[in-house]
Amino acid sequence: MPWKLLWRNVLGHPVRSLLTVGAVAVAVFLVCVLDAVTSGLTRTLNAASANRLLVQSAVSLFVDLPLSYQQKMASVPGIEAICKWQWFGGRYEQDKGGFFAQFGIDADTFLPSYPEMKITRGSYDDFTKQRTACCVGDELADKYGWQVGQTVPIMGTIFERTDGRPWEFTIAAIYHSDSPAVDNQTMWFQFDYLRESLEQGGAEGPLGVGVYMLRMAPGTDPVAVQQAVDAMFENGPQRVQTTTEAEFNRQFISMLGDVPTLLRLIGGAVLFAIFFAVLNTMLMAGRERTRDLGVMKALGFTDRATGILLVAESLLLCGLGAGVGIGLGLLAEAPFAVATAAFLPGFGFDERTLLLGAGIAVVVGVVAGVLPGRRAARLTAIAALREVG
Amino acid sequence: MALVPLRYNLRSLFVRSSATALTVCAIGATVAVLAGMLSLQQGFATLFQERGRGDVAVFLRKGATSEGESGLTREQCDILSKEVPEVARDQKGAPLASAEMFLAMRLRKFDGGETNVAIRGVEPMSFAVQGDDLRIVDGKRFEPGSDELIVGEGLLDRIANCRVGDVLRVNTVTFRIVGTFAGKGGYRSEIWGDLDRLGKALERPVASRVVAVVRPDTDFAALTERYASDLRVQPKAQSEREYLKSQTGDLSDRFTLLGGFLAVIMGVGAIFTGTNSLLGTISARSHEIGILKAVGYRPFAIFVAFLFEAVLLGVLGGLAGCLLVLPFQGAETGTMNQTFSEVTFAFRTTPAVMLDAIAFAAGLGLLGGMVPAWRAARMTPTQALRRA
Repeated sequence: MPWKLLWRNVLGHPVRSLLTVGAVAVAVFLVCVLDAVTSGLTRTLNAASANRLLVQSAVSLFVDLPLSYQQKMASVPGIEAICKWQWFGGRYEQDKGGFFAQFGIDADTFLPSYPEMKITRGSYDDFTKQRTACCVGDELADKYGWQVGQTVPIMGTIFERTDGRPWEFTIAAIYHSDSPAVDNQTMWFQFDYLRESLEQGGAEGPLGVGVYMLRMAPGTDPVAVQQAVDAMFENGPQRVQTTTEAEFNRQFISMLGDVPTLLRLIGGAVLFAIFFAVLNTMLMAGRERTRDLGVMKALGFTDRATGILLVAESLLLCGLGAGVGIGLGLLAEAPFAVATAAFLPGFGFDERTLLLGAGIAVVVGVVAGVLPGRRAARLTAIAALREVG
Repeated sequence: MALVPLRYNLRSLFVRSSATALTVCAIGATVAVLAGMLSLQQGFATLFQERGRGDVAVFLRKGATSEGESGLTREQCDILSKEVPEVARDQKGAPLASAEMFLAMRLRKFDGGETNVAIRGVEPMSFAVQGDDLRIVDGKRFEPGSDELIVGEGLLDRIANCRVGDVLRVNTVTFRIVGTFAGKGGYRSEIWGDLDRLGKALERPVASRVVAVVRPDTDFAALTERYASDLRVQPKAQSEREYLKSQTGDLSDRFTLLGGFLAVIMGVGAIFTGTNSLLGTISARSHEIGILKAVGYRPFAIFVAFLFEAVLLGVLGGLAGCLLVLPFQGAETGTMNQTFSEVTFAFRTTPAVMLDAIAFAAGLGLLGGMVPAWRAARMTPTQALRRA
């Protein structure tokens, strides 16, 4: 095989080769990014813990459960710990587009139930001891340049302080989680601080619990616990729905609308565009090279060899493009993940995504090379030499 | 100065039809993605804005940005309905105002999953406030004070147990569905019932907002200002039109942002493809360029001619892109809006969307044609003729 000719042909048209590689790179980059979004969602669901259940109102996401439910649920066999979760919905630097989630939780049962979280700075003990303390994710702390000991003002929306001033939380600990089950851009504070403020008139707002997290003892049958809890409140005052953590996360992801279908449609359009772009290049290359092909055939190269040469050229261009596209994707991965963490959890490339990018390049390369390749193989030396570009 | 006849470029695109078609397809796919995102954005935005009325006021709690966040006690609602002088009255002298409670409720979808559907408890006067914007198309209105509901027609094909005669459990109370209504905008994806009965069933004594017909010359900012220091109630007053605009902003922006992001990245790829294709035709046509130069056309005329050809390719690509998205026209999809309840909206490829898409495509052609046209213009006649 005259492989040297392959290189010469690619390097002989540097502009065309570069533009084709560029077009493929853009497409592979985009396909990888789109796929990373969907696989990130799947990864988040898979990372959900099997020994945590979540109890929420069966009526609505926005209906709180009574505080009294905690004690009643504690009698259900198999439940090891209960932690309250209350969405705070406060605003920090909203004028600058700042948004992150804040939750009031039970400090004593929270960290032990989420072993995927590690405290990297400060101390969790300090967090449990101070009423007004908070524990924040390391990405959040880095984003705003927060240090342990600093006070963060949060303007209440659901829970407004009666003095009209923002709430103030002091950072006692900064955590990091490697698992997509817990993101690194959340602020946790003590539910009791919120409860006391509401009870003592320091703040106004509904006093209740959005979600109860139940940690089950090892070996407990989750279905039995779910049924027992759901049955306990079947006749009110608020009916509840107990779900596994994976199911709970799925309901939030499905709120984004039909993201996978939308992304698949866009991915299809990207593939469509890239296929025609590469095919166009290769057809042009094949046509231009008619004379060269005639000379090669006159010298005794087989039909096969001339055909394969064009397919190989197409593959080489696509392969280079895929390499660049995947490289760009890897460079963009970290900033993308941070930027989308608030609404698309778990963004990141895995082997499957990278293989998909490479696979697409190979398929497009082969298919786009075969059309001009077949023509090259069929051409006779005389016909080729007679034709003038 | 003589310009190269346009016919030359048109014929050239036609003669090299396979290269033209492939480039048009590549640009078309890019444009289709942009046009698709813009169509979704349009569908969503018009859904809310067509219903917004300037003479209907929406009162929320101060600081709330949507009904979901807002809360007003019944006493506060009464003050707003009865005391605000801007609120219009009917022939009997009753204020055309209604307190409403709003909640995004979990319901089963036909395809098995769960979604949040807006349930709205209203007072009888709500129907007078809405006027012709809301009509019963099947069955009847719910009786005030009864456990009856009416359902927006947008939900019928998506949510289970929503047809006339079905029963729906709201927390621990069973309600009967007695009617279906048609309404503009988001209302067609809601369930309506009696304010007091729904408030009891859901254990929510607090209303979310007050809607009222107001005098046409109402100054909403002045109204809000007037109550800013009232100890009983400090409402945030807006016209319905403004309120709905603020509700669609986020999601609308998100579609535009996503469409823009994809269009820019795919546009770079399309420019590469266009440049490539034109460079190819120019090297194949150097003989023709040599002849054009030999008969006296200036380099600038040749530059313009090739740039025109590139823009034409772009516009053809834009048309192809619009053709690709048109089959989706009118397709309905659902998404969560700001209050976390599902709204149904249709894909709308409006003439404005198509114009934007074609202009974008022409821009891609223009950028892709710069380098090839420059290269063609710079060839000398002898150089060009010799290359053949």
